[in-house]
Amino acid sequence: MYYIHTISSITNQDSFRNEDVYASLREFDKEIDVVAPDYKEFIPRNSLRRLSPILRMGLTCAMECKNFLDKNFDAIVVGTALGCLKDTEKFLNTFITSTSDFLSPTAFIQSTHNTIGGQISLGLNNHAYNMTHTQNSLSFEVSMIDAFLCIKDGKKNVLVGAAEEKIDFLEKVQPSLIPNGYPLASGASFFAISGEKSKNKIGIQAVATNFNSINLENEIAQFLAKENCEMVDLILTSGDVVKNTTSKIESINYLKITGLHYSSSAFATHIAHDFLKNNDAETALIVNNLCKGKLGLILVKKG
Amino acid sequence: MKIYVTGYGLISAIGVGEEETLDALRNERTGINTGEKEETKAYKVGEIALSNDELKERFKLSTEGSRTALLGMVAAKQAFEGHLLSDEIKTGLISGTSVGGMDISEQEYRNYLNGEKHNPENYKHHSSGVSSEQIAEELGITDFINTISTACSSAANALMMGARMIRSGMLDRVVVGGTDSLTLFTISGFKSLMIFDADWCKPFDNSRKGLNLGEGAGFLVLESEKSLSISNKRPVALLSGWSNASDAFHQTASSPDGQGAQLSMVEALNVAGLKPSDIDYINAHGTATPNNDLSESQAIKSIFKEAIPPFSSTKAFTGHTLAASGGIEAVFAILAINKGLLLPNLNFSNVIEETQLTPQLSFEEGKTVKHVLSNSFGFGGNNSTVILSRVD
Repeated sequence: MYYIHTISSITNQDSFRNEDVYASLREFDKEIDVVAPDYKEFIPRNSLRRLSPILRMGLTCAMECKNFLDKNFDAIVVGTALGCLKDTEKFLNTFITSTSDFLSPTAFIQSTHNTIGGQISLGLNNHAYNMTHTQNSLSFEVSMIDAFLCIKDGKKNVLVGAAEEKIDFLEKVQPSLIPNGYPLASGASFFAISGEKSKNKIGIQAVATNFNSINLENEIAQFLAKENCEMVDLILTSGDVVKNTTSKIESINYLKITGLHYSSSAFATHIAHDFLKNNDAETALIVNNLCKGKLGLILVKKG
Repeated sequence: MKIYVTGYGLISAIGVGEEETLDALRNERTGINTGEKEETKAYKVGEIALSNDELKERFKLSTEGSRTALLGMVAAKQAFEGHLLSDEIKTGLISGTSVGGMDISEQEYRNYLNGEKHNPENYKHHSSGVSSEQIAEELGITDFINTISTACSSAANALMMGARMIRSGMLDRVVVGGTDSLTLFTISGFKSLMIFDADWCKPFDNSRKGLNLGEGAGFLVLESEKSLSISNKRPVALLSGWSNASDAFHQTASSPDGQGAQLSMVEALNVAGLKPSDIDYINAHGTATPNNDLSESQAIKSIFKEAIPPFSSTKAFTGHTLAASGGIEAVFAILAINKGLLLPNLNFSNVIEETQLTPQLSFEEGKTVKHVLSNSFGFGGNNSTVILSRVD
């Protein structure tokens, strides 16, 4: 088990500093992108000005996890499928339209995917292992796999999370760059995990990825059998209704709640954690098959 | 547990594969020239002469993709040649890239801005994850696919991730490396940072002005002992050490003493169980920017003290291939180990005033090279080191 010690999420839901995001879930709010905290509390004003939404979200969630844990992280692992889109778009606009030989480099240097991890290392003055995984809809799942490896390698406290930002242009290029079907959104969720038991004993038992997913139901059954899990109390899915007898309560389509971005399963993990924390339940399964043929499974457990 | 390297492949401005690459290194022939395309003609770049169609035809590529993906397929296919897919060997692919399909996206986005015919379908190649999926598809690999995007240390981090996954038993065999194509996005970006040299770059030289960009890909095949017993492949090297550390100094600049670089080199030596004196050759990151080369020199001095092994940057051959550089230079390290090479640092005339270090200046062959340390440092203070060792 990889125990979750703190979680911080900024999403379309009212999730930041919310002790029970499961209980307060509501319909996706089309009028807003995310319910953002006052970033000035977390980020110095002079740097805040330069930071795009994804950097603000990622850095704030990381700082919030650090504040609660009160220990330095021994590794920082970030997942992001599309990364810093706002700065990418900005720099594209700059160099395509500019006739000047002198361009501002800020958008360029903040456009690389690992700017989120880099800003976290700077913000926390952290010299540890710092990794960024960009595997489309499974970016969060592969980041989790790396975080677990870090703990196996002997690192104690690991910060792992994912962040995505929505830009309006994405709507123009659906479905080639991102699938159709749900409102596009931004979001970030970060977790401080370790091998040591957390207060509420909730953790992640296993994460599995499948890049050649053919039969969803069989693959879920195989995964649960391997993890000695006969019954799960809650299933959170990225769309397909998982028809089976393994869930005591109906499954929740988390994309309807979080909106669509490639790392929505990170917030689903937050929902699962709070569900287990505040209810008489022991297991939750996240089924992420947002992209055809790609399947991510995350088993969250109490105990 | 030992991590065996059983295959390697590369493509860069100095050639495709081992033979062409060695010929250029041996004859100290740079691949950097005035660009031949509309986007590159104003610069000195390490451009690969083959067009996308020529790449597809010459290397019989059956999967569509951006130039980044195509270059990756060429190098990964070379590395994986003679390897057979088997249910008994759980095989993955981990690729590092920073630009992904930007070469296509930037053209399409220009059309969009100019109000010309805009085909949104073309953005399907954009994400870096897609380029890895396309490379994996070309090789038939489905057990595990991952992409690492930490700017210029991406490929080194892919090697490290692969080694750790084998060590943990999650994979038996993994194709690891990196790929990046030249794009207007990166050319304009480095230009905006004003760390371009209009002339040939001069790594570790006192008068260095900046880098030349390049493109290419380099991949290795890593295997566990169990995998070797089934694949019967002959190991050509060991991936013995790896590490990543954060400089936590500045988004793009390195700290003056190279703190992140020091942490990364020390930890890689620890993982390998080696002392600094065991290293026979350092393939430095050596981008030829004023900041990197000074910072890296200080870090090398602080770790190797008075006994600095021969070191050089090969960026003056290939240009800085960004996310691919750690993969390409890992192949250089394997060539150095197996052929006893020390690779020359081109365009050097004077030592950096503050550090007084002279890199390896000529191509030497027939040396004893057991352990090579290779550095890759990226934006975000992302510092990685891998160590490749001789199979004894």
